Amino acid sequence: MPKHKPKRSAPTIDMTAMCDVAFLLLTFFMLTAKAKPQELVVVDTPSSISETKLPDAGTLTIMVDKDGKVFLDMAGQHTRMDLISAMNSTYQMGLTQKEMNVFSIVGGFGVPRNQLKRFLDVEPSERAKFPSTGIPIDSVDVNKSELANWIHNARLSQFRMKQEGKVKEEYVIVVKADANTPYPAVQSVINTLVDINVNKFNLITSMEGKPGAEGKK
Amino acid sequence: MAEIAQDSGGGHKKGGKVRSKKMSTRIDFTPMVDLGFLLITFFMLTTTLAKPNIMALVMPEKDIKKEDVEPVKESKVLTLLLGANDKVYWYEGITDAKLDSTDYSAEGLRQVILNKMEKVKGQFGMEDYEDFKTKEPRKGSFINVIIKPTKDSRYKNLVDALDEMAITKVRYYVILDISKLEEEFIKNPAAGLKFNAEQQVEAATQ
Repeated sequence: MPKHKPKRSAPTIDMTAMCDVAFLLLTFFMLTAKAKPQELVVVDTPSSISETKLPDAGTLTIMVDKDGKVFLDMAGQHTRMDLISAMNSTYQMGLTQKEMNVFSIVGGFGVPRNQLKRFLDVEPSERAKFPSTGIPIDSVDVNKSELANWIHNARLSQFRMKQEGKVKEEYVIVVKADANTPYPAVQSVINTLVDINVNKFNLITSMEGKPGAEGKK
Repeated sequence: MAEIAQDSGGGHKKGGKVRSKKMSTRIDFTPMVDLGFLLITFFMLTTTLAKPNIMALVMPEKDIKKEDVEPVKESKVLTLLLGANDKVYWYEGITDAKLDSTDYSAEGLRQVILNKMEKVKGQFGMEDYEDFKTKEPRKGSFINVIIKPTKDSRYKNLVDALDEMAITKVRYYVILDISKLEEEFIKNPAAGLKFNAEQQVEAATQ
């Protein structure tokens, strides 16, 4: 009697389904995701129960790190280009066209006006290591305060771009400060904003559970 | 080509009809899956999915005219002085104010605000007001909170205090600069607060 041999099947698995899932997820991530911008400064935001989300476009972010250094970042390449040409001619910063192009795509910056040229000349990979000292604030004379000038001119540029139809919205001002920043540093930023008649702005916070579930802290 | 030649040449297979060998139409998807997951990992790591939350803040205008300042009832006012080392000092009203301190926990600051609300509700009852958006008449009881961070406080304290405003639904609150008198008050609570209503307005509109 011949031995009955069990038929051996090759241990192949049908990968089609897995492939489908993988590409479905891939498509999902590609469509929903936004590239993470390179962080110029590490800011650990405090938490709050607020559930309002940061708008997608048209934000002007003022970052304050834990030493009180102020950085600025704004959305919109057209606006940035317009802003830097306006600032360049007003304050004779002596930037070349190439440097202005760099400014329009660079992320945040936190250098005094006279160091901006040097900051823009640095290789992109080295820029994170640039010794940024923060944008100076003059709390006495608002016209001399560089932060006030930048924000004021950025809003004007954004407004011009809106009129030209290149952007849809005016800037939403957001303040992103580190939880451990001493209050006077934040206060000078807030006072600067009030001085240039920005009375309504937003504070960036991270998520926190609603109270009641387990309470705060 | 080669197979066709074989067919015609060697006829000694059964029936003479030889089927061409069927190739499997199965494709090995493993490398494709590998690639898919590699890309997923890449996108997951380089993107920010969770958008940060924002908290709207409205500051009073810089130049407020004295005529435009609406007087509030002193007994409705609660002043929070955000001090060093995550401590909150608070006092009610202005006249004969007693300084007390608490922390930012749910049992601390929140309880202080809720107690004040109860007190004001008991004293003044419900008042009529108009809804901001719908203009409908409603009833409610309100307190006025003044937040004054000291130089030694940190940003987190301010956000925590504002958060408490949102949690306890305080309708009227404002952030003001701290005055010299209040700094003295923290250092020496026993001396009492020598602050009168005019100076308070002065401090608020400076």
